[in-house]
Amino acid sequence: MTSKKSNPPEFALWWLRHMCPGQHNEVLTGDLIERFREGATRGWFWKQTLIASITGAASELRRRWAFFCYAIIGSAAMCLMPRYAPIKMSIWLHWSELPWPLSQFVFEGAAPVVVTLVALSVLAAGLLIEHSFRWTYIFRTWIINIALLTVSHYSIDLFPRLLRPIPGDPYVKVLIIPQAVQVLFLVSTFLVAAWLGCPMKPSASKVRQTGHKTS
Amino acid sequence: MVRRNYLGEMELMVLLAVVRLGDDAYGVPISKELLLIAQREVSVGSIYAALERLESKGFVSSSLGEPTPERGGRAKRYFHVTRTGVRTLEQTRESLTRLWSDVPALKGKSA
Repeated sequence: MTSKKSNPPEFALWWLRHMCPGQHNEVLTGDLIERFREGATRGWFWKQTLIASITGAASELRRRWAFFCYAIIGSAAMCLMPRYAPIKMSIWLHWSELPWPLSQFVFEGAAPVVVTLVALSVLAAGLLIEHSFRWTYIFRTWIINIALLTVSHYSIDLFPRLLRPIPGDPYVKVLIIPQAVQVLFLVSTFLVAAWLGCPMKPSASKVRQTGHKTS
Repeated sequence: MVRRNYLGEMELMVLLAVVRLGDDAYGVPISKELLLIAQREVSVGSIYAALERLESKGFVSSSLGEPTPERGGRAKRYFHVTRTGVRTLEQTRESLTRLWSDVPALKGKSA
């Protein structure tokens, strides 16, 4: 039976496994355990865990920069779109001439569709630069993104306390959630869509897995 | 346009440590080597970040060892320098030697 002293902090191990991005996660954890059993302190283990989280996140950002560009541009466009586009778009799509509920869907869905298509061009350019471009990735990301935006849009009605009417116009309601949180939510929606839509393989294609070696 | 991959300071140090360690180059010995030779305490996470970059540039390759109980049942990943890595190291050494050879005696100025 191993004593508690020879075991690294359980929560740090959980953190390394679940919250620490990077393709060398398992071997890194093994290295930290090896150093810990050689006499390193629990404080040292925690410090290494935090640094591994930060460096892992930084390398993930570098590897998937196209996703972040897509998320930032898509979210910015989503925030700016309602201010400038609805009148032009409603005329353009002749939404009012369509039968209900189709007109409603077109009116509410046109903006996200156009925004995601614009942002997808950025994602496509990024994937082309990284030599990872696939039409299926783009299509899948688009579908997931539209689905996520639609679900989040309609689920707001489930929480009427989050909405308040604008003074002087009882038919229009706004979210009481701070703008920064809304933008963060939008960015994460675009990021999740890109993450699920483009399953970019890590650069482990260059890694040889065959050479098993006994220590 | 030809895309050239240069070595950053951390990448150069990690790559040299991998060369020095030969067949035993994995996270723990690399960090010890950097502490011993370069007097730099580098976190294991930073070493793997550098190794990941070196791997993506094609300067190192890696192979997985056997899981061992002292590592909590986790395997070691051994790193090896590729031919491209060796060539880049030689080019870096030549560039640095040329740069140093033209540098006059260093004198510090008081702040």
